[in-house]
Amino acid sequence: MPPSTVCTAKASYKKAPGLLELTDTHLQWSQDGKKAPSIRVPYAELASLFCSKEGAAQVRLKVGLVSDDAGHNFTFTSPQPVALSERETFKRELTNIIARNRSTAEPTTPKPVIATSPITPVSNGHPPPLRPSGAATPALPPPISRAASVVSSGGTPGPGGAVSASDFKLRKKVLVNNPELATLHRELVMTGQITEAEFWEGREHLLAAQAAADSQKRGRPGALVDPRPQTVEGGDIKIVITPQLVHDIFEEFPIVAKAYNENVPKPLNEADFWKRYFQSKLFHAHRASIRSSATQNVVKDDPIFDKYLEKEDNELEPRRQRDEEVEIFIDLGATQEDHDVTGNEKDITMQAGKQKGVLPLIRKFNEHSERLLKSALGEDGPTTKRRRIDDDASHLRDYYAQIDIEDLHDLQDTTGIILEMQDRQRYFEGGMKSAASEDASKHEIDIKVALREAKDNLHDWAGALSNLKLEKKAADASVVAMTQNVQARLTTKTRKNDIPEGLFRQMRTCQTAANEFLRQFWSSVYPPLSDLQSANPPTPAQKAAKAAKMAGYLAKTHEKVEALVRTAHAEGIDPERVRVAMKPLTDAVDQALTFHRTRKPVNAK
Amino acid sequence: MDKPSHISVILDLSPSQWHLSSLPENPHPLSLRSFLSQLLAFLNLHIASKHENTLAVFGAFPSKSVMLYSSTDPEADNTENVNPNMYHPFQVVDSRVVTRIEEELESLDQSEEEAPIGLVGALTKALCYINRIIHPSASQSSGTTSEDPTTLPDPRILVLSVSPDLSTSYIPIMNSIFSAQKLKVVIDVCKVYGPDTVFLEQAAHLTGGSYIYLDRRDALLQHLIMSHMPSPALRKLMTVPTQDKIDFRAACFCHKNIVDIGFVCSVCLSIFCAPVPVCSTCRTKFPIKTLQRLNASRPPGLKPANGALKTAPSTPHTRGPSTPR
Repeated sequence: MPPSTVCTAKASYKKAPGLLELTDTHLQWSQDGKKAPSIRVPYAELASLFCSKEGAAQVRLKVGLVSDDAGHNFTFTSPQPVALSERETFKRELTNIIARNRSTAEPTTPKPVIATSPITPVSNGHPPPLRPSGAATPALPPPISRAASVVSSGGTPGPGGAVSASDFKLRKKVLVNNPELATLHRELVMTGQITEAEFWEGREHLLAAQAAADSQKRGRPGALVDPRPQTVEGGDIKIVITPQLVHDIFEEFPIVAKAYNENVPKPLNEADFWKRYFQSKLFHAHRASIRSSATQNVVKDDPIFDKYLEKEDNELEPRRQRDEEVEIFIDLGATQEDHDVTGNEKDITMQAGKQKGVLPLIRKFNEHSERLLKSALGEDGPTTKRRRIDDDASHLRDYYAQIDIEDLHDLQDTTGIILEMQDRQRYFEGGMKSAASEDASKHEIDIKVALREAKDNLHDWAGALSNLKLEKKAADASVVAMTQNVQARLTTKTRKNDIPEGLFRQMRTCQTAANEFLRQFWSSVYPPLSDLQSANPPTPAQKAAKAAKMAGYLAKTHEKVEALVRTAHAEGIDPERVRVAMKPLTDAVDQALTFHRTRKPVNAK
Repeated sequence: MDKPSHISVILDLSPSQWHLSSLPENPHPLSLRSFLSQLLAFLNLHIASKHENTLAVFGAFPSKSVMLYSSTDPEADNTENVNPNMYHPFQVVDSRVVTRIEEELESLDQSEEEAPIGLVGALTKALCYINRIIHPSASQSSGTTSEDPTTLPDPRILVLSVSPDLSTSYIPIMNSIFSAQKLKVVIDVCKVYGPDTVFLEQAAHLTGGSYIYLDRRDALLQHLIMSHMPSPALRKLMTVPTQDKIDFRAACFCHKNIVDIGFVCSVCLSIFCAPVPVCSTCRTKFPIKTLQRLNASRPPGLKPANGALKTAPSTPHTRGPSTPR
């Protein structure tokens, strides 16, 4: 069944003429003369919508996608009046779709009015930019990213076969965030020395961490809605309005939504509505900071908006009373009547409304925080978090339970595991006849002779002391040796690295590669780090094969190091320095290889 | 700024090791007599270099350890054979140290086999002694230490070792190292005879001291002066020789073997050379699954044989000697 078309219009995309269609599932565009649409966007992908200004030379429409902010730009090619009405149709339909998308993305965020107005210019006839300017709309990105985290969960199998696209994305992200690992990856996997799967084996935790980080949802931004005017030439003020900003304003100030519903499209059209709003007293009452005073002179009396002006909320009692009952333990007034009896001084530091001017601001902040809190509580299943609080309140009146804070409990229950060392004697004195006498027994020492000799040695100690004399040769030799010891350490500290960069890089490459082989080798020999990752543990045969392969690679390390030494020699660097630098590596490789060799015969048996 | 310093010297006095050390087939034989005279010269040097410097000498004998001398507790010295050619304080130290060694050797048990050396005991006593002198309480007015913290000595321990590692003493030595770290006591080690000892290398490294393997034993005094004379404060300005290579291996608790790779109990951190179902130290029972997993993937055919034992790690604890750059 061919999808039914909602509306169509002639429009060009990337300067190619074609037909823009809105079916009941997709927004699609096909170039003239081609049957299949070259752009097909499912409804769920649509995230934002921008239009050029009425009266502009070209009638354009831009759709932003969930996965791609840049989206697609269409230009309506019919003559102006027709194009405008066509665009209006598309705009209306798409706006509804986007609104639906958003409400599914944020299921619980209250939506008094959805952004029905796409883009509207304000103030003095400057053409609005097609893209929202970032500075003016700090609140724009979040809805997209919030939606993204929902959409991206459906990973599709990629062309790689075994590796799913989402896995691949994860790996790429890990590599991007970790340049050193990326280098290693480039040097080993891209050159085909080890396979992609081998490389990631034993690094699953990195992927898991990345996946966990990705799946975190970004919460609602906490900033107060406060459109910042940009001053443009000629002293005019420009505020860029995006659907997101409109949405936020409506949500933050329901009164504006009310005004919008009552006044648009009659008697005001959208552009005029916003223009007047931003010049009205109402807007300035809504501002979050004292910056408003600077623009005070712009404010005009406005018969339409002034009706919606509310009285300053600076009375002692807030205008909007909290509907909840204040819990007795946090109510400062609860003990007021006792103060006279106990002789407490009246609290003078916390007087509400001492400074009248700040009350509206404080209340605005409080209301804003409350809204944020509610939306945060709501997001996670409607009432789970809330219930926990309410539960306490319901079997309330048990005041003790309320002040019984778990953190303050004594740690009586968690005694932990007492370290009861069994058979202590064994640890401190056990194994008496071990290594100590081993060396001695070789020489068949008669302990009594030794003891007598020791005692003999003590006689006439004073004479020996007064005749003490160091051999010059011995003393000199030891001084030289010790000086060299100190010098060797000082020079490594002071001498700068004069190995040429090329050679140095080769050394590093050799080092990281061998390190990786070592890691692979030992991980194939030893058990995995934890039970968690062994979803499909490799069989012993596989592991043995891998160990052998890695041992093969490792065996070549000496050649590589020798090659480096030769290069160093050719470049006039002391080859010994390279050899010393690579010594720990060759030692480690030798250890692994020795291990591999000694293990083999037993395997064969 | 120039604080007085305190040295607790620990002498390893195993008669058999000293016998071996003095054998003429050694490249540079060193007898106990020659060792003692060089040591006494060093001790004299220390107490002479600053009036407030303090000294304690501990002896590690087979199966026992004693304090031989301490400058905070000078006993009534017998003034009978005063050598007029010698600075009196030197004579007090020297005669006292040697006489006490003689006494202790005299009382040694004449058994067929030499008991293990009491190095740990000496180390522990030295730490206790240092702890006492750097925390002089008001009630205790012992000797020369004054209550003014600026004149409290800068303590360190010097171990002069001739015996090989006693792997049974791994745990107590490690515990002493941790106490020394906590007390900020530097442990210097001078290996006078025998193979390098892993534990003392670690002791020196972990406490910031220097470990010297004595190549030219006939020039012991030279080494002592160059490496162990400067106080820790001075060493910030003056580099002293030490050893770069440190063996970080541990001894397993079950067979006291020094292992390259061992299994570590997740509860009490005991080290084992093979997977065990129950930790022998804290009696923690390990999950059978873990045990199976570790055993299954353990490299086959590694019989637990002398020192060169290798086993699968639950935590790769240490792998061979490492060389800090």
